[in-house]
Amino acid sequence: MNTILQTTVPGMHSSRSHIILDRLGSVIAVLISIALFAAPFATYRANRIVAGEGRMLTEALPTAGALGVTAVILCVALCAVLARAPVIRLAAAAAGLGAVFPALGWSAGFLTPAGNTFARVSPALGFWLLTLALALLAADALTRLRLGPLARLAALAVAAGAIAGLLLSGAWNDLSLLKEYANRADSFWREARQHLWLALGSMAAACLVGLPLGILAHRFRALRAAVLQVLSIVQTVPSIALFGILIAPLGYLAAHVPLAAALGIRGIGAAPAFIALFLYSLLPVVGNTVTGLSQVPPAVTDAARGMGLSRRQRLLEVELPLALPVILAGVRIVLVQNLGLATVAALIGGGGFGTFVFQGIGQTAIDLVLLGAVPTVALSFAAAVILDAMIDLAKGPSHDRD
Amino acid sequence: MSLRSSAPRVAALLLLVAFVTAPQLFSFAFEPLTANNAPAIYNQGSLLSLTLSHLRIVFLATLASTMLALALGIFVTRPSGHEFLPLSRSLVNIGQTFPPIAVLAIAVPLVGFGEKPTFIALFLYGLLPIFENTLSGLTGVSPQALDAAKGMGMSPRQRLFQVELPLALPVILAGIRLSVIISLGTATIGSTVAAKGLGEVIIAGLQSNNVAFVLQGGLVVALLAVLIHDGLGIAERVAARRSGRPLDEAR
Amino acid sequence: MIEIEHLTKRYGAAAIVDDVSFRVEEGTVAAVVGTSGAGKSTLLRMINRLVEPSAGRVLIDGQDTMAIPEDALRHRIGYVIQGYGLFPHRTVAENIATVPRLLGWDRRQIAARVEELLDLFGLDPAEFAKKFPHQLSGGEQQRVGVARALAARPALLLMDEPFGALDPVIRHKAQDELLSIQRRLGTTVVLVTHDMNEAFHLADRIAVMNQGRLLQYAAPAELLTRPAEAFVEQLVGSAERPFRLLSLMRVQEAVEPGTAEGEPLSVADTLHDALSRLIWLGREVLPVADASGAPVGRISVSRILAHGRARA
Ligand SMILES: Nc1ncnc2c1ncn2[C@@H]1O[C@H](COP(=O)(O)OP(=O)(O)OP(=O)(O)O)[C@@H](O)[C@H]1O
Ligand SMILES: [Mg+2]
Repeated sequence: MNTILQTTVPGMHSSRSHIILDRLGSVIAVLISIALFAAPFATYRANRIVAGEGRMLTEALPTAGALGVTAVILCVALCAVLARAPVIRLAAAAAGLGAVFPALGWSAGFLTPAGNTFARVSPALGFWLLTLALALLAADALTRLRLGPLARLAALAVAAGAIAGLLLSGAWNDLSLLKEYANRADSFWREARQHLWLALGSMAAACLVGLPLGILAHRFRALRAAVLQVLSIVQTVPSIALFGILIAPLGYLAAHVPLAAALGIRGIGAAPAFIALFLYSLLPVVGNTVTGLSQVPPAVTDAARGMGLSRRQRLLEVELPLALPVILAGVRIVLVQNLGLATVAALIGGGGFGTFVFQGIGQTAIDLVLLGAVPTVALSFAAAVILDAMIDLAKGPSHDRD
Repeated sequence: MSLRSSAPRVAALLLLVAFVTAPQLFSFAFEPLTANNAPAIYNQGSLLSLTLSHLRIVFLATLASTMLALALGIFVTRPSGHEFLPLSRSLVNIGQTFPPIAVLAIAVPLVGFGEKPTFIALFLYGLLPIFENTLSGLTGVSPQALDAAKGMGMSPRQRLFQVELPLALPVILAGIRLSVIISLGTATIGSTVAAKGLGEVIIAGLQSNNVAFVLQGGLVVALLAVLIHDGLGIAERVAARRSGRPLDEAR
Repeated sequence: MIEIEHLTKRYGAAAIVDDVSFRVEEGTVAAVVGTSGAGKSTLLRMINRLVEPSAGRVLIDGQDTMAIPEDALRHRIGYVIQGYGLFPHRTVAENIATVPRLLGWDRRQIAARVEELLDLFGLDPAEFAKKFPHQLSGGEQQRVGVARALAARPALLLMDEPFGALDPVIRHKAQDELLSIQRRLGTTVVLVTHDMNEAFHLADRIAVMNQGRLLQYAAPAELLTRPAEAFVEQLVGSAERPFRLLSLMRVQEAVEPGTAEGEPLSVADTLHDALSRLIWLGREVLPVADASGAPVGRISVSRILAHGRARA
């Protein structure tokens, strides 16, 4: 498991010292050293568009601050290399993040000349590497802690709370990312709502249709093969292509059916995006429902039938509860997939966080890209954690955690 | 493979080839979709060369991610890399929550416009399914088979190449297939960052409000994806039959 | 009492169960034996209509099962299968409570019944009621399976290889336990098994099936002494026959007047046990005592051997 470093000091009568080094910890320590001493911590730009100049941590903060942050991070690196207990490693990672994140905001304030409203400060490679290293340390510690579902939800809530606190405190307000936000606070929340509506609405629709369809497909073999084949072909079609293909019939519908137009259905916009996301969502829901139901042990269904449970009772009391974890795993796939794919909707005027991403690409403004990408990633990540916890809860006491 | 089940595939392939080599032949089908005398067939470049660049970048990126993912997967399932196994599982899990578009978008400011950010996004995002399936393939090899191999005196290397990898092959191929399909789609979006590919056709259509273009680009990409998905599926089934493992049809 | 009349099941042209008739008396155990694929499970499943018969009928206490709604019929009949089919997402107590709950018993009644059954099967309610099936050993799962089948006090219990998954020691214990509970409750049992020893040990009558047909339905001793067909003879094992026969008879039946030296055998021992004692001790005769220990006569090797011979 661990490398045992044996050093023999020549000249003295062969004394040996054993130091136990954690190998992952060593990788993390190397990452941290590169981030601290060989990569710029922040990027300074005189205005939003011009190329930036990197600033090392020592330049980005007042001397005392730079020394303090460096000291904290080095301690964390030491913990990563030497400490074995996951709790200590997790605490170290948390402490590290607790130093690096505020430091970024602080550096923005420090680097921006007083009264200059054009200058922009963004995170640079060093910051990202530090975040990566600390996140690795935290992920490893959390993996080793094997937290139960409720504890994982609590950890997610704490992390979300900490980030919300950081943003609300104003500590990051001088960062370019938050300046981009401040310029479009209204449209940010509008696109956020649109993004959630696209992702969650299409998922809900897919569950409403997919669950009964899955149950039917489980009952009737002929239907099963046909449904799964069609849905997996749909899933193969790349998102932008499907959006594009749907534009034609919806455009036709809007032009020729007044009611459709009155309902807000257009060739371009949210309607094709919503329908495409819905179609993509069907395969995981239907497929996992079928798989989940077919995994119910035959002895169990036979016994249920033998004891006189009616069809409905068998479905509701035995088959669906036993299939629930697998069905939820399908819902997890759908949710994560939809939150990501909804970004593409912006290309066809469907709105969502993709709006900022594609605007940002158009203007080569990385902070604008981040304004769209970071919430998307955060949402997908939170959705994955929440649904994983729900799956574990659904497996419940009838399975031991392995 | 019976004639009946392969006929639609062959027809789809012929249609695709005919369309990208001589799109003008099909203009009658797209004319009703155009307005104000807009061109019915994409006219800002050759569909064939766009298709080929699209396939090229997907192929190169998948090749690169396959090599790295296989190497990593083999490493963390050996005794020397075992320490990294639980973390790599979590990382794969977390990594797949990153939307491919986000990866693409973040790469642009770092390396500029063109093929490079697209390649990076395809490469990074393609790693995950292959790595995940390599892991589950290698860790899913039956302990009895491994034990028997050990008992016959195979070296760890021989066990890897003669027992573990052949048995894990169908699962690894399934990962590669998933990765290729995701890449085909992401490469389309790559056209928003000026990578040459079929996304250009769609985006040109969106920009000029020409549904005919959008539909053409969409159909070509969709046909490509379905055909490749299908072809790799056949390869997987052959490998599965060789390794004597039934492939579940629901995936 | 259950009467099976000309029961037939066809899948396509093949008759999986072919015109089978027999009758199981109230409170007795009938075993159905035969090689794999003989149609035993299909026959059993036609009794609770998990399989619909193609022809023929089943009467339970004179009532045609076709006249009873399917689910209601099954509520009245206990059913135990190989692997037991316990619901993995329900506790032991919830599993046992399944049918009483379907029948709408009130909560206190159900709880009392669950406790009673757990006690009956030697499972401490305090320990086992809240456990999940995967936390039980194979033997415990089997007992919960039978307890669940008996929960609503069915007069009839159908069992399809209920001991198939148990090791020989536990299996033997489970068989004895079933037998004693069956005697106590007076339940009628139809049991499908592969294991001839099990059939001879448990059954009052044995039905031998081959390729869907019922070859013979008779008491165990009759099966040995008057096999109806070569197949039956082969199935009961010609080499084992005398010993099987002896283990069906008691010392009581072969005791002769007189005395002998040595530790007495009991009148309740089987002739099989008596013979093995005689061989082991190298004796020709041993004394016999009744349940209270009073001498009643003696038993000899030659008398035992006479009982193990084929009778015309
Ligand atoms: N639904 C069905 N459709 C077609 N054939 C069936 C069906 N069910 C059972 N059979 C066939 O009927 C025959 C008898 O099956 P059954 O399960 O009754 O045998 P069995 O005596 O219980 O065998 P075993 O001892 O192996 O359990 C088998 O050959 C089986 O393949
Ligand atoms: Mg059977």
